[in-house]
Amino acid sequence: MTTSRVDTAIAQPGQSLATGHKTFSIVDLVLYGAATWDWHRLHYDSEFTDRMQLPGPVVDGQIYGALFARQVVDAFGPTAFVRKLEFRMRAMVFAGETVQIDGVVHEVRHDPDADIVVLDQTLTRNGRPVADARTEIRVPR
Amino acid sequence: MSLLTDELKAWIGREAVYPAQEEIGRASIRYFALALGDDNPLYRDDDYARQAGFPALVAPPTMIVESCQYAVGPPDDHGYIGHAWDLPVEGCRMIRAGNSYEFFRAVLPSDRISVVWTLEDITERASSRGGTQLFVTSVARYRDDSGELLAINRETLVYQPLATGR
Repeated sequence: MTTSRVDTAIAQPGQSLATGHKTFSIVDLVLYGAATWDWHRLHYDSEFTDRMQLPGPVVDGQIYGALFARQVVDAFGPTAFVRKLEFRMRAMVFAGETVQIDGVVHEVRHDPDADIVVLDQTLTRNGRPVADARTEIRVPR
Repeated sequence: MSLLTDELKAWIGREAVYPAQEEIGRASIRYFALALGDDNPLYRDDDYARQAGFPALVAPPTMIVESCQYAVGPPDDHGYIGHAWDLPVEGCRMIRAGNSYEFFRAVLPSDRISVVWTLEDITERASSRGGTQLFVTSVARYRDDSGELLAINRETLVYQPLATGR
């Protein structure tokens, strides 16, 4: 099941979050690099990435954390606080490529004053893994 | 020949301290959200953020650990200005293996954030490309002016030897 907004009071393990997609143009990579004060040429200079034996400008892997976090905030609402987010890289992504973001509820705990939700999230490109994450959020009641 | 030399092992345990330069600021928060194409009003509308229980608009969750705004000095020859250890590793390219974040409260525009990086460990492991590669694990701790811990970022980078003959 896929829903656009998830109610933590009734969330169940196995419940899917809305799938997202993101295409990284060179402009996107420059925007992200500027916004994070990371102007490394790896992310926009194809002559440099050729010397590094890479097929093109590299998407900064840190952005995957932002994409994973955005998916859960979009799903659980503005009161959802990301407490933990751990992600592992499976493959590099290059300028012009598109990734798909999926998320599934792994565990739900109900504390006295908040619901705790643990999620498994994945980034894929053409069905192949790019990164996966385990994310924990706290949603106050 | 081992990539993990005694000279490299001596780097384990080193710290790098980046005192707060200025407040994070509303412009930086709005810029970060814009760069991600995220139009959530939580990142630009104080009233909306207050209704969600925050004292003011907040930064997107991972901005604190992704931004190099804490940096000092000019960018290097490649344009990089953030934290780097400048390890004595030759003929390698560096790629990210993963990050593990913990967050303790939302970051506000008024936060002045200091960062301390610690080089936790360096290990050498077999590579699927043949030979070996280095895994360098560092941890960054982000604190506000009062010393309150806002976030921890444990980062693992891989140094892969470049193929020769190209």
